[in-house]
Amino acid sequence: MLNPKRDRTTAKLSCRPLRAAVIFALVCSPAFASQKYQTDIGPTPRDGRNSANVQGRGAAQATLNGSNFTVHGTFAGLAGAATDAHLCMGNVMGGTGPSIYDLKITKAQKGEFGGAVTLTSDQVLALNAGRIYVLLNSQTAPHGNLWGWFQPGHLVAKPDVPQDGNWYIPNILTEQGVPPS
Amino acid sequence: MNSTFLFISGLTLGAGAILGTVVIAGAQLTTPGPFTATQAEAGQTIYGRSCYACHEAGGEAGQLIGPAFINNWRSRTTQDLFRRVKDTMPLDNPGSLSDADTASIVAFLLEKNGASPGTTPFTSATAVQVGTIVIGDTSNVLRADGGQTRSGSPSAAGRAANGADAMRRGMAPLVTGITVSGMVNKYTAVTEEMMEHPPASDWLMHYQNYLGWSHSPLKQINVKNVRNLQLRWAWSLDDGERQQITPLVHDGVMFVSVNVDNKVQALNAKTGDLIWENSLGPRLIGVENATRTMALYGNHLFYPATDATLYALDARNGHIDWKIKFSNFGEDKIGGLMIADGKLIAGLGRCDEPVAEDRCFIAAYDVNDGHQIWKFWTVAYSGEPGGDTWGTMADGTRAGADAWIAGTYDPKLKLVYWGTGQAKSGKNGIGDKLFANATIAIDVETGKLKWYYLPAPDEGLDLDEVFEKVLVDEGPQNILLTAGKKGILWKLDRTNGRFLDYVPTVFQNVFTSIDRRTGRATYRSDILNPQPGVPRTSCPAQSGGHNWPASSYVPEDDLIILPLEQICVMARNMTGNYEAPASDGYLGRLSAYYAKTLKPAWTLQQRAPFLTSSMTTAGGIGFVGDWDRTFRAFDVKTGKTLWKTRLGTTAQGFPVSYSVDGEQFIAVPTGYLGGSPEVRPDTILDLERNRPTVGHAIYVFALPEKQ
Repeated sequence: MLNPKRDRTTAKLSCRPLRAAVIFALVCSPAFASQKYQTDIGPTPRDGRNSANVQGRGAAQATLNGSNFTVHGTFAGLAGAATDAHLCMGNVMGGTGPSIYDLKITKAQKGEFGGAVTLTSDQVLALNAGRIYVLLNSQTAPHGNLWGWFQPGHLVAKPDVPQDGNWYIPNILTEQGVPPS
Repeated sequence: MNSTFLFISGLTLGAGAILGTVVIAGAQLTTPGPFTATQAEAGQTIYGRSCYACHEAGGEAGQLIGPAFINNWRSRTTQDLFRRVKDTMPLDNPGSLSDADTASIVAFLLEKNGASPGTTPFTSATAVQVGTIVIGDTSNVLRADGGQTRSGSPSAAGRAANGADAMRRGMAPLVTGITVSGMVNKYTAVTEEMMEHPPASDWLMHYQNYLGWSHSPLKQINVKNVRNLQLRWAWSLDDGERQQITPLVHDGVMFVSVNVDNKVQALNAKTGDLIWENSLGPRLIGVENATRTMALYGNHLFYPATDATLYALDARNGHIDWKIKFSNFGEDKIGGLMIADGKLIAGLGRCDEPVAEDRCFIAAYDVNDGHQIWKFWTVAYSGEPGGDTWGTMADGTRAGADAWIAGTYDPKLKLVYWGTGQAKSGKNGIGDKLFANATIAIDVETGKLKWYYLPAPDEGLDLDEVFEKVLVDEGPQNILLTAGKKGILWKLDRTNGRFLDYVPTVFQNVFTSIDRRTGRATYRSDILNPQPGVPRTSCPAQSGGHNWPASSYVPEDDLIILPLEQICVMARNMTGNYEAPASDGYLGRLSAYYAKTLKPAWTLQQRAPFLTSSMTTAGGIGFVGDWDRTFRAFDVKTGKTLWKTRLGTTAQGFPVSYSVDGEQFIAVPTGYLGGSPEVRPDTILDLERNRPTVGHAIYVFALPEKQ
């Protein structure tokens, strides 16, 4: 606890190195290092009646720098031309929610999509909770053709090749009884 | 009004027919149904939004259009049907449908099953016998939509309907009784000593031993020579309906069963020759049911028929020694079946109607004459232990807690361990609804409850915690491992049910937290309080995570190996199945964990889900089969595939290993129909893979014969 009279001066004098240390810490902290995200994008829900319309596959990579989120992905195999793509925020990883940003997309059955957006602090939290997902719509599936929820960068298994030890499984559980934000 | 309808082949309707109407050859309808066309049309919308995901695209609930519905509801009234829907559906929020919506759903179901709309609106008071509105000879009913409502693309579902139903149309009426006479020459009566210490050459029970290990002590086939496995023989089983069996083997005889017509066969386990056959009947038509377990004890083979008749056959010649009717209600079936302490113990399944006559239970019977020794009700009524956990619900309205998976047994503690399915009536938040969705320990001598463990009440997504209870000793500590549909592997102290630890084995998003001290879990808020019309995700889907394809335990390496699926479901508005986040398109997963620490050892992922149990051997190898017809051997230490082959159709059921005359064999059943573990992947893979829709069989492999 600083002494109000003398410590104000002391604090003022001592603030310079402290301020520098704080700035140094902020600049070099992990929060400011870019973070990689990735997702496979697969068909939206199929119920045995819509398979022919909901086809295709793709993948997306993204980078978060501070609050700047840059997305790039590819897709192929759609039954109809892509019409639009969005970043959405679901209520939970694997769940749906509103579009938060539009992405550019090749309006064809195969192509690319992407964009650079600035996320709010809530959206950054949602990203870290796995709730941000990409949604591609198409002429044959205008309410959702392909989607995928962004995950932190991780090793993707090859089919039929075993992985040892701690492989990646997203986990939304808390253990103190407090639901994640 | 009397009308005669033409019989229409499923082939002619094509891809445009969705939820088509069943038509009956030569049927004469009586009066128009007590509902209006407007109600039926509204009902179709509500059904598509609230019911389709489970009943048609899911496979875990009865299909409501076709022979199954007619069979089940013919003698009951429309008011019974109304109450059934109103009080128990949807499963995640029973009682939430308005009377008007419920009436519309009933109208829709009646119309789709052949009733004609009239001018009188259906109400909650309308009580007309269903059979007077919807009539017909179900043995000749063909789903006029080509089976499209089941799953998959029109072509695939149409093929499925044509395959099975066409065969049924061509079949002569079932002849019951001993259809092939024979006698097993040398048969040793199975004793309690054998059950506690099963001969390595046998597969005497569902899980190979009392402890639920699905692990053979044989090691003639090992990591070095398994690549030389060859097909030694195959035996075709009657096609039609689900087939998910466990072949049992004793004294060189393999016992198998055929689901569609309840046929039991004894085969020479070395050559595949048929010794005897008893066609018990009935022939199953469009009813969701699967016989997974039989049991051996003394000279008896115990068989649970699909009409809930429990048979004791003479294992030497197939003759019926005694039989009892396990349940006379609705579509009830005998779920799990086991022997413990010389008693035959069975659980009731599909007991999901909120009436006293359909109360679920586990019971023990005398193996010699079938008289009941004890009964444990899995649904607690007032005044009983746990009876105060159902809120203010009247006793007869409490439903669920099916015991549809066979239990395991600790002969030293004298406890049998079973799982129960979820409650199927009662709103969320009224209480724990004991003993639904729980692991329970029962005194094998008295049938009294010793302890129970309930991860979370209010399970309304059909994500049962009912599956195999694997018993392992860690030094002095006696533990129990079990994984439910959510894919969480729970570790308990099996002496008292105390929670010890857990590990998620697949992505799940239904629980938001688990208390590390108590193992008590908390559901997502939108699951506990679902909002009408708001899409809601469940990962895993009702296919699990984990499901009836059981895990295996490798004592040599302290590994538990689990077949897993990675599929989610979206309900309401955006209905259907999709790949789980971070699954990268891999629907199938096989994962090994160290039982002592629950640390992961290895995992293997692939596009097709696994639809057999994991079966391991002391030779250091495991075996598992999948939806896409592949049956493989893997190194239990690393998960590396050492050998594989393609079978005639989906590998489905419980592989076993046994030996005859010193030669080790590996047997695997195949079958192409099933519940959600088979149906849900079908909706995702239907345009990628074409599976044959015939091919129930047993395949037996061995090393090359020595010259």
